[in-house]
Amino acid sequence: MINTPIQPKIDPANPFVGRHSRNQTLESFVRWVLRCGTLVIVSVTAAIVLHIAVKGAPVALSREWPFVNVAFLTELPSTLHVIQDNQGHIIETDVNGADAIKMELGANLREEKTISYSGGGILGPIVGTAMLVIVSVGVALFLGVASAIYLSEYASHGTFIEMVRLAILNLAGVPSVVFGLFGLGAFVLTAPVFTNSPLDRAIFTLPLGFTTLSFQGWDTCVLSGGFTLAFVILPVIITASEQCLQAVPLEFRETSMALGATRWQTIWRAVLPFATPGILTSSILGIARAAGETAPIMFTAALAFKDKLPWQKDQISLPADASLFAHWEQNIQRFLAIFTESVQALPYHIYTLAARIPQNEYSERAQYGSVFVFLILVASLAATSIWMRRSLRAKYKW
Amino acid sequence: MPPSASSPKQLPPVVEFRGVDFRYSTHTVLHNIHLSAERNRVTALIGPSGCGKSTLLRCVNRMNERFVGARVSQGQVFVKGKNIHDTDVDLTQLRKQVGMVFQKSNPFPKSIYDNVAYGLRIHGVTAKDILDDAVERALRSAVLWQELKDRLNQNALRLSGGEQQRLCIARAIATNPDVLLMDEPCSALDPIATLQIEELMQQLARDYTVIFVTHNMQQAVRVSDYTAFLHLGKLIEFGDTEELFSNPKQKLTESYLRGTFS
Repeated sequence: MINTPIQPKIDPANPFVGRHSRNQTLESFVRWVLRCGTLVIVSVTAAIVLHIAVKGAPVALSREWPFVNVAFLTELPSTLHVIQDNQGHIIETDVNGADAIKMELGANLREEKTISYSGGGILGPIVGTAMLVIVSVGVALFLGVASAIYLSEYASHGTFIEMVRLAILNLAGVPSVVFGLFGLGAFVLTAPVFTNSPLDRAIFTLPLGFTTLSFQGWDTCVLSGGFTLAFVILPVIITASEQCLQAVPLEFRETSMALGATRWQTIWRAVLPFATPGILTSSILGIARAAGETAPIMFTAALAFKDKLPWQKDQISLPADASLFAHWEQNIQRFLAIFTESVQALPYHIYTLAARIPQNEYSERAQYGSVFVFLILVASLAATSIWMRRSLRAKYKW
Repeated sequence: MPPSASSPKQLPPVVEFRGVDFRYSTHTVLHNIHLSAERNRVTALIGPSGCGKSTLLRCVNRMNERFVGARVSQGQVFVKGKNIHDTDVDLTQLRKQVGMVFQKSNPFPKSIYDNVAYGLRIHGVTAKDILDDAVERALRSAVLWQELKDRLNQNALRLSGGEQQRLCIARAIATNPDVLLMDEPCSALDPIATLQIEELMQQLARDYTVIFVTHNMQQAVRVSDYTAFLHLGKLIEFGDTEELFSNPKQKLTESYLRGTFS
């Protein structure tokens, strides 16, 4: 006989009637706790996005065709002049316009306010961020995918590999301002350049005859910032790439090897093609990270204000018969020179507007406009990543 | 059909194991294996799980050596009369001439054409007409050409399980190997697909030397000319399939065949 001390009374009408036991109470309690936790996250995210949209959309968008504030997206930042006349009319203008208006108003001028960086648009920061992202993702993809392939396909398991993995994990935990200082020391002040006239600050110079390899750094420029950002996103890219490589079935490698392929042939033909979608997807998330970092570029690439785009500086002038291909060395030099310019960047621009200048309605307007544009850019990157993952996964499913 | 009167000595062995011990770093999984596979014959390896038949098969194209510490610790393996562990043996050339088909059909998620052409492309063939020829020949040999000739650019993963496995066979024979190793080629297939593969294996024996591992004793009877029975890493009995199944010489073989195995 089985001993059943708690035999519930069976209701003939409903034999499945439940008992309100402690278990059921706990069950619904836990469900509600978890649900509330999730709701908090969702509502905070929604609040942030709404707040920025409400404050930023009027700045970046417009009511008439083409529904975006073209000037805000295509002009460089400048100082905003706000002029008020005695009748209370408020005129916003730039520095040139201000002089003309003041002349016209004469004694009718009540006051003039100038607000730094808040006029014009944010083309400079957008271009700067784009260039930083291009350089950093290029460098990080090359280094990251190379080391992921090495770790996942070549290296044999052992103490050394465990230490490398630990180092990569630690790299992910390094505060971004430390990366900034590292970039300042490594790229801005000591990275090697070819030059005919080394600077005094060069740590080490190596005469090569036709030129000198001087460890004098790249100065504050896109290259320095891009390389620094590359190291910030490197752990993400290595880890993600390694996971994508591991996700390719082992049988593909075995089959390829059994057909007589060398290891590199196997990787190139039977592993990488199927890991690439994932690697690209995760590197897009790396782009979003790189675009958003402020501290690493503060010392290495970004300026609070710059009135020229990187390609608008004084360039090596081409000879009179200049055609694109006749002087390719100069053209390449001119192209590379773009990357040796310091730039404005969106996150640093926002920081400047929000924390480095006196706050008023005009600076706040520029600030929320920039944040809104920034958010749209990052969101569209994330959307691209999701879309790519979907379409490529459908193509390369196994 | 098993060869009725032909003695194993008439044809030179294509694959020959001479007293092979195989180790995975610490423990030995094959002990003193003597075995030879005749040209244009089908040799089956049978035995309980973990007896080392897959390891034995993978010794022929040295696929085991991917793992650290795995090696032939004693004896030699000869393929086409050459000791494959000699220092002047190029692994890629060995594997080109010793094709392999795996248990799970595993075509690459590429087109049918690219799958079959994979081996040739690895070995540097780029000429379109040579590739076309080889793909057609391999698919014909694998009895797939009629079914697939009009959709060579279709993704191989859309084929059925049996077709996929035959495609894998086509991929393995596209480089025109001498030996074809098959590691339980039918274990994941339905009975009809299994029959097709078995038929194919016998056809393939006209051009290739086939060695295959199977769990299915009936399959060994149906397909193979010679059968080797392994147990705990030792070759217990090796001989003419009909002879081995009808009149096993070892007690262990007999009890395994009868299913009264302890």
